[in-house]
Amino acid sequence: MVSTLSLDAINTLAAVILLADFMLVASSRMRSLTRIFALQSLAMGCLAAVVAFETGAEHIYVVAVLSVALKAVVIPRFIDYTTAKIQVNREVEPLIKIPGSLLICAAITILAYFVTEPIMELGTAITSNCLAISFATVLIGMFMMVSRKKAITEVIGLLIVENGVFLAAISTTYSMPMIVELGVFFDIFVGVIIMGIFAFRINRTFETIDSTVLRGLKD
Amino acid sequence: MIEAALILPAVLAAICLLLGRRTRLVEAVSVAGAGSMLVLGLYLVLRTFDEGSVDEGIWYMDQFSGLMMLIIVLIGFLAMVYSVPYMRHEHDSGEVNQKRIAYYYGFLFLFILTMVLVVVSNNLGMVWIAVEATTLVSAFLVGFHNKATSLEATWKYLIICSIGISLALLGTIFIYASSLPILGEGSDLHWTSLMAVAGQLDPSFLKIGFVLVLIGYGTKAGLAPMHTWLPDAHSQSPSPVSALLSGVLLNCAMYAVLRYHILLIHSPLGGGFSSGLLLLFGLLSLGIAAAFIITQKDYKRLLAYSSIEHIGIISIGFGFGGFWGIFGGLLHMLNHSLTKALLFFGAGNVLQKYGTKNISEVRGVGRTMPFTAALLIIGSLAITGSPPFSIFTSEIMVLTAGIDQGNLLPAILYSAILVVVFAAFMGHIVKMVFGEPPQGMEKGEISKMGLLPMIVLAAAILIMGLYIPDILGDALRDIIALFGGLV
Amino acid sequence: MLTSLVQTLLILALSPLFTGLIRRLKAYFQGRQGASVLQPYWDLAKLFRKDSVVSQDASWIMTATPYVCMTAVIAAALMVPLMTTSSLGFVGDLIVVVYLFGMMRFFMALAGLDAGSSFGGMGSSREMTVSAIVEPTILLSIFTMALISGTTDLSGISHNLASTGFDLVRPALFLALAAFFISTLAENARVPVDNPSTHLELTMIHEAMVLEHSGKHLALMEWSSMTKLLLYMVIMANIFLPWGIDTDLTALGLAAGAAAIILKLLVFSLAIALVESSMAKMRLFRLPNLLTVSFSLSLLAVISYYIL
Repeated sequence: MVSTLSLDAINTLAAVILLADFMLVASSRMRSLTRIFALQSLAMGCLAAVVAFETGAEHIYVVAVLSVALKAVVIPRFIDYTTAKIQVNREVEPLIKIPGSLLICAAITILAYFVTEPIMELGTAITSNCLAISFATVLIGMFMMVSRKKAITEVIGLLIVENGVFLAAISTTYSMPMIVELGVFFDIFVGVIIMGIFAFRINRTFETIDSTVLRGLKD
Repeated sequence: MIEAALILPAVLAAICLLLGRRTRLVEAVSVAGAGSMLVLGLYLVLRTFDEGSVDEGIWYMDQFSGLMMLIIVLIGFLAMVYSVPYMRHEHDSGEVNQKRIAYYYGFLFLFILTMVLVVVSNNLGMVWIAVEATTLVSAFLVGFHNKATSLEATWKYLIICSIGISLALLGTIFIYASSLPILGEGSDLHWTSLMAVAGQLDPSFLKIGFVLVLIGYGTKAGLAPMHTWLPDAHSQSPSPVSALLSGVLLNCAMYAVLRYHILLIHSPLGGGFSSGLLLLFGLLSLGIAAAFIITQKDYKRLLAYSSIEHIGIISIGFGFGGFWGIFGGLLHMLNHSLTKALLFFGAGNVLQKYGTKNISEVRGVGRTMPFTAALLIIGSLAITGSPPFSIFTSEIMVLTAGIDQGNLLPAILYSAILVVVFAAFMGHIVKMVFGEPPQGMEKGEISKMGLLPMIVLAAAILIMGLYIPDILGDALRDIIALFGGLV
Repeated sequence: MLTSLVQTLLILALSPLFTGLIRRLKAYFQGRQGASVLQPYWDLAKLFRKDSVVSQDASWIMTATPYVCMTAVIAAALMVPLMTTSSLGFVGDLIVVVYLFGMMRFFMALAGLDAGSSFGGMGSSREMTVSAIVEPTILLSIFTMALISGTTDLSGISHNLASTGFDLVRPALFLALAAFFISTLAENARVPVDNPSTHLELTMIHEAMVLEHSGKHLALMEWSSMTKLLLYMVIMANIFLPWGIDTDLTALGLAAGAAAIILKLLVFSLAIALVESSMAKMRLFRLPNLLTVSFSLSLLAVISYYIL
């Protein structure tokens, strides 16, 4: 029997994750992007921990701790470090203005809800309502990648998509086999580092990380 | 034994990176290393072709893996051999220094390692990790030249493929979820375990999972409309790397998609759903590629779009299904790799001679580099589907499959587009080969050593066009049995 | 019936007090002594004694608006529960209340334009920009509460939530509260949307619209604005966090209800004063960003009610 306290905790944390998505879209400074992303990853980790507590599966605790350590601490620090090194302008430069972006994200959330409604019964007993939020997070992450000009915000958008995928994993299956989870975390970590390296190189060559300058190759 | 195929490239990569400036030594180690990879790979391949699948827990090789392994080690070896004179020329013209050459060979071995990992993993999660790893490692190879255009191509490559891979991860999770009701907590995402219970997997999760996997891994395979990174990445990377990317990596990504396709065929959902999607994306890729081939101005991008076209054909083959569709699709994977590698090597020679990627600025290759020109003509005829080369065989098989299955409209579209591509592609190549070369251009090949892999490939596609070796034919039949022989 | 009248009179009588309290708190945060908490009463008394001067070019709207505004807030006060949940609910529900405020805003904007001065017109247009986003936000936030408690009658919402303890609490509630708080700031001309004590035309929204009024008319406009602020705070207190309100009209319940509402109003006054003191007024062109955030919050509240 699932305790209502755990259910409430999971629902609240899922609401925090959805809220964080919107806050990310609404932020106009680079610093707040990494901070809110760290908050979102922390909420994910706590959600995983609650699931682990309810199901008694201990390897999910490891996943939760890894998630917090890697995505709430290491990766945001690394991105801040890269941003500082590139000495880039602190403004996030949106292609679509913030009010418009927020409205689009609201529409995306409603869309995600409708898409996942038929599958919600297939989810697990504890976390099936998180499935809609995970889809919304994936779509909002992709929207962020498309609608922001700076190269580093594209990386953050990617990380949000990964967060959404992670949440979807928790909602449908509690967790994947341990080795897969570890590999996924490692891949994401290495991926972010490599993208940081290339963002640095782009800045060195183009004097900017505004990705709209990357238009040279055309047909 | 399979672990050896993974440890070997890792060790070779480490050696190359450590050797640093001793270029001669690095080259020797690389070629020898690639040769030993070839031998080891062939051993593993022939073992599975003869004895059937090998299940070592996390590693698993059946005939399908064997076919892919064959492509990887063969093209890998030839690309390594071609790299030696290519990189020497780059070094002599001042483009790269010796340290970077060692770095190039090291990453090349790492790249091969990740691709082998894709095809020998039993665990579908491991397959995902390996595909992501191929993106990360090849990013360094694509951005090797560190120019503005290379960086742009690498960035697009990294970002677009990473989004795709994330979707593929979501798809993998759903497929895993479909197995939970039956296998419970003990489900380990091994392909063998999933195949064992395929008949009871939950259909709705499988559907969503496959769509996501198709879009996700399809991004890496170059299926339209997720192909936008491909022309940039394949044209900006060094030519041997382009050959590996076009000829091998795209096939590995398709392999991943097809593993899920097989799973769906044996599930209660049946193969109709996934075949339909494969057909749709295949036709779309074919059409879009053809459109861009007609108006192309850069010959390396031309080859890249041709890769998109051929992945489309492979996808159409599996979409049509049936004996000929699958046989054609599998054979095409092999044939396309061989032919595209040949073409990229030739393009590499042209680039080093003429210094430009622009079709309109390249004239008279027939006069300046007759051997390369001849091999380019052979390659172009082959890639556009002329007999007696091997691609003609596989393309005809796919067409037969389409007509057999009653999919007349797609089959007609398919043939029509192929004809258009033939005309456009040959038009571009012929313009480059014939005519007068620019004033003062030195005549003579870049190197003799570079021609050897090209001659081997040309011979291979000619022979394969006339006769398919029995071992290969039997292995292909076994793979078709995997696919259920049906849709 | 009687309780509603008593509550309404109390709200009218106490509104200047809370405005004075907020000003006093702001002064305290700014290190000043500040005027007495009762200062707004003296201001209103002074204004009532004076005559109104009306521009020659103004129409009947100019003279009618103060009375319309006052009527609107009195009517709204009749429907909002203060200490007990039995108010004049059958007359109207949350939609009526929101649109009473809307009517008040409409007439104020017209009055701003009416006198023909450019300050008034500017204030009116800015007010309309802000309210275009704020009005849906308010509607959605209160609507979320209606969804949670099952009725659109304000005292009904209060009653249902208060009597069922914490069972009905969802994340949607907090999201809606956050959105409503930002809307309170926007609607009542508080920093960071508008500066209530400014005299510079560049920074006015609300002040610009009432600029042309004087004497009795100005007194009525000021009083209705203060009451509007109090009403918003009461709504926040009793609709979103209604625990403590009296539900059964007993003497003990009423006493508890009174204590609860005073406490909550003090907390909200402190919150508003804190927000006003710690932030600067935002540039007009950045306002849509903030307001759209609050709109998204209220939208999220409704969505999360269904999802979670």
